[in-house]
Amino acid sequence: MPAIHVAVVGAGPAGVAAAVAAAEAGARVTLIDEHPIDSSMMGLDIPYVFGQRMTPTVRDEGLMLQRVIDANPGIGRAQNAGVDVLPGVYVWGSFRERENSRHIPRPVLGLGNDRETWMLGYDRLVLSTGARDLSLSFPGRDLVGVVGARGMGALIEKYRAFSGTRVVILGSGEPAMVTAKTALESGVELAAIVEQGREVRSRGPLAEELRQRSVAFYTGQRVIEARGQREVEALVIASETETLEIACDTVCLAIGVVPSVELTYLTGCELRFDADAGGYVPVVDYNFQTSVEGVFAAGDACGIVEEAIAERQGARAGRGAAGGLDGADNLIGDSAENDAQSEVEYWESWRSAMTNGDAGDVTVCLCEEVSRADLESVSPPRYLGWPSRQMGNRTLATLFHEAPVNLDRLKRLTRAGMGYCQGRRCREEVALISADASGVDVSEVPLGTFRTPIRPLPLRSMWDGEETEETRANWPKWFRKPAIKLDSLGRDG
Amino acid sequence: MKLDSAEVAIIGAGVSGLSSAYFLANAGVNVVVLEKGLIGGEASARNGGSMSPRADEPFAIPMATRARETWKTLDQELGYPTEFIHEGRLQVAMWEEEMDLVRAMAMNAPKFGVEAHAVDPEEMRSLVPELTDKALGGMYFPNAGHSNPQRAVQAYAWACQDRGGRIYQDTAVLRIDVVGGRVKGVQTNRGPVSADVVVSAAGPQSGLVGDMVGLHVPVAPGRVEIIATVPLEPRFTTYIAGNGLYGRQTLRGNLVFGGGPHEWVDVEVNREPPKPNTPLVRNISRRLAELFPSLEDTRVLRSWAGVVEQTPDSIPIIDKVSDPEGFVVVCVSGNGFGLSPATGLAVKELIVDGECAVDISAFKFDRFRHVPRDWRKTWSWEAGAYNT
Repeated sequence: MPAIHVAVVGAGPAGVAAAVAAAEAGARVTLIDEHPIDSSMMGLDIPYVFGQRMTPTVRDEGLMLQRVIDANPGIGRAQNAGVDVLPGVYVWGSFRERENSRHIPRPVLGLGNDRETWMLGYDRLVLSTGARDLSLSFPGRDLVGVVGARGMGALIEKYRAFSGTRVVILGSGEPAMVTAKTALESGVELAAIVEQGREVRSRGPLAEELRQRSVAFYTGQRVIEARGQREVEALVIASETETLEIACDTVCLAIGVVPSVELTYLTGCELRFDADAGGYVPVVDYNFQTSVEGVFAAGDACGIVEEAIAERQGARAGRGAAGGLDGADNLIGDSAENDAQSEVEYWESWRSAMTNGDAGDVTVCLCEEVSRADLESVSPPRYLGWPSRQMGNRTLATLFHEAPVNLDRLKRLTRAGMGYCQGRRCREEVALISADASGVDVSEVPLGTFRTPIRPLPLRSMWDGEETEETRANWPKWFRKPAIKLDSLGRDG
Repeated sequence: MKLDSAEVAIIGAGVSGLSSAYFLANAGVNVVVLEKGLIGGEASARNGGSMSPRADEPFAIPMATRARETWKTLDQELGYPTEFIHEGRLQVAMWEEEMDLVRAMAMNAPKFGVEAHAVDPEEMRSLVPELTDKALGGMYFPNAGHSNPQRAVQAYAWACQDRGGRIYQDTAVLRIDVVGGRVKGVQTNRGPVSADVVVSAAGPQSGLVGDMVGLHVPVAPGRVEIIATVPLEPRFTTYIAGNGLYGRQTLRGNLVFGGGPHEWVDVEVNREPPKPNTPLVRNISRRLAELFPSLEDTRVLRSWAGVVEQTPDSIPIIDKVSDPEGFVVVCVSGNGFGLSPATGLAVKELIVDGECAVDISAFKFDRFRHVPRDWRKTWSWEAGAYNT
């Protein structure tokens, strides 16, 4: 009997542990990781908020591949365990037989890079896709140099290609502390750590360590704006008593991360909202199997956890995928935070701290230039230049009074989330704004859809070079006229 | 508790139902629309956005002509933007067999009163500079255009509400009340609605709604797919059909093109059908790159699918039936978006004036009265069948 083929997506701690465990259990394993990301994809802030803060060396694909492999010892471990590792490969789609796509003969993933795409079949799937940066709007966020914690962390550690020199970090939870330490140790100057709350959020030892290294902490702050011509030159913050301008070339959003559930969604797994986990996460059992049989999810993709827990989750998912369903206890660890506030409540506090008075003109969707006011008034996009008197009667509140909140409908009307970053930089904030406007809790706002391809690849790469003669010969532009005449159905005369 | 009462209750807030609701409300008729999901939640708001007369369907020309004339001023009439662009449609022939079709169209068009010009490759590229030099020739239909489906559907809805119409979303019709051979209203999951006339504009659900009054409305729902690229600078304004695709560059700049095999599906009366995309997005991408070779570096941003209904002859049904009285069937068989203004006017006239001002005799329901219940199976159009 041929070995079970397990595909593992994401070579972080959970993914590597899953791949190794599955291989040790006798499975044939393919581990796919998208790093190194193509430099042009980085420019689109995919998958993290890189804020254009990468050095030109990111264009050297060979060098980046070497650095990414060097930075991740797990890749070597997986290879030693006999895992087939595919670095620098995006997973852009996930297809399987399901309601209304009955003709997919076996489950496949869409793989590829900027040059080509191909399909990978599998027996079992482990989605250890990690998490992405939460981005919230504030004046000046569109300047070069506003990055996310994951984006900056990847540029420093994986790519060694971070071009920032002096950073202000927003947020003071444990992930922010880790990011701060990473920055310090790579020789980047840490201008300040800014927190909107009265106290530093992290209770861990890192905060104390950073203090002892003379890092300036500012608590009880609001963000007024990032200043600069084209790039960040300073961040302006204000407490109740004073306003402060901090010179820096990078502002790092380390407020939160969001589990990456694009593939989980496309695979058809059931998702649930978990405010502690940072949004929607897959429903999994003790073996980390999702609602779709044979599909597992582990690590940050299920809710943010410490590395050691992610590894244990991954190992169990990997064993389960290889056929050994043995999970008897709950490994879904508590969030690393021991703050009473949930992740999403913390985001909310930050959102209030970034709402500078009546900052309705702040841009929420950077790609399509949709402001908060545009969203709240459900305005047609600016390129239409449409002066509609009647639109005055329409608001987000009336829209969602008449029908359940639906982010896809809002997206199509305002274009928020329709741009090249595929909504990664505004999705959560649009959900929070919609919750406010409709008077429901954000946990009641249904997840907006994710669309194939979840990495925007060029037409030439998406190109199906394998299109069969049969597909080509039987390709209809639209429904064909029936070959059988209506008369054959008993029409008169 | 009663949800509402009205002169006309319309089932379905897709483009046909909403257009009908708008024109009825505009004529002073008391109208409600009942929608199981959201306004434009289905194919009405996610299609290719084409408005085009076809030279191979002479029976549809009066409706198509009326639709086009109405589209021209629809934004002003409704008071909301639909992004309508009246810049024609280019039918591109890539193979000799397609050239034969183009030649046949060129012959037929004047006979049917459709304005159309045969165009050579050079003329085609003056319309669409990015077009492949492999294109052999084509037809240009100046009296065609396109608009933004979501915006147009929402515009109808808002304009209807502005004129007193009520639209109930998240409201599924479960039964239709018929007393003494006349419709009296409907039962929804949120209570009854009494009405003198009930319009079924339920698209893929038309068969299920027809069943509620004992009428066999033969429709087969199919799932079709479409892709969109990142926005580009303005390149072309004409609608394009070619290389097995149909689509447009939107006002925003995205290329939105669809086409290819479909899967027949089943639908339910109170639930949105799942609409997964498939690896077909790669084939569509390939064809788009073949059509515009210089744009092959353009990134694909998203794809989506829609469920579209087909009648056995692919021709719409727009008819006020006699049994039961007061029941109107509107089922436009995949032609709904472009025809929508004319559809709405036709429904308004059928209800208010008793007959439509343009010839819709080809759309009568009666032609299907002998279609057997198992016709989808006979034709291999049943759920799960692929590209038949």
